[in-house]
Amino acid sequence: MVNQEVVAGVSPVDPDALRDEVRAKYREVAVDPHGEFHFHTGRPLARRLGYDDAIVDSLPDAAVESFAGVANPFSLQPLAPGEKIVDIGSGGGFDCFVAAQQVGAEGRVVGIDMTEEMLGKSRQTAADMGFDHVEFRDGLIEEMPIEDGWADVVISNGVINLCPDKAQVFAEINRVLKPGGRLQYADIANGNPVPEAAVADIDLWTA
Amino acid sequence: MMEEAGFVDVQVGPPVDTFAEAGGEGNARAFAVFGYAFLARKPG
Repeated sequence: MVNQEVVAGVSPVDPDALRDEVRAKYREVAVDPHGEFHFHTGRPLARRLGYDDAIVDSLPDAAVESFAGVANPFSLQPLAPGEKIVDIGSGGGFDCFVAAQQVGAEGRVVGIDMTEEMLGKSRQTAADMGFDHVEFRDGLIEEMPIEDGWADVVISNGVINLCPDKAQVFAEINRVLKPGGRLQYADIANGNPVPEAAVADIDLWTA
Repeated sequence: MMEEAGFVDVQVGPPVDTFAEAGGEGNARAFAVFGYAFLARKPG
């Protein structure tokens, strides 16, 4: 059984300080996506994670280059035409653009992110692509700017592990989903225990 | 944790070696960190 709680711990760090750290890291990924990071990014990462080549190849570089996910949230079940999707921690928008192609023009996709540079990038890319069924909102995933019961599916990729209060995150996901709605997300989990000192080291959360 | 939050029919996909050959591979190996896809449903 995989263990998600140990990777991120049970909030032994200051949430605001952690958010600042996460914003700084992903600001770098937005403005310098080909820089040196401890994780892969962009098209090589999408290929490694098993995304559909035809969809990825159809997207412009701006839609893919800042992708920094950890697995494929569409691998266990694709989205259906017409569904309403919320992507929590949408970054440069890559998963939103993949979702937009799966749900089609009758569907809706809302990405939520807290990093200004990522929001600017994803909004510009959506406009350039003419995707008017995709929008990006500024917000925290613990307090999503989404009405109750709006979403058919909530997706996310490599973000929940960066949130110290996971119970709040899952409660918020529950709030925005319709009854019968799905949570499809990708994230990291550890097989070996992480020492408490490491869990309490804020630098290691994004390193 | 998902079940505690009220989700049902939880599925977990196979592990993905997401950090292989990346800068974070050392930490990933030390703690056996892999990427996973998760699927769960809100009861309706």
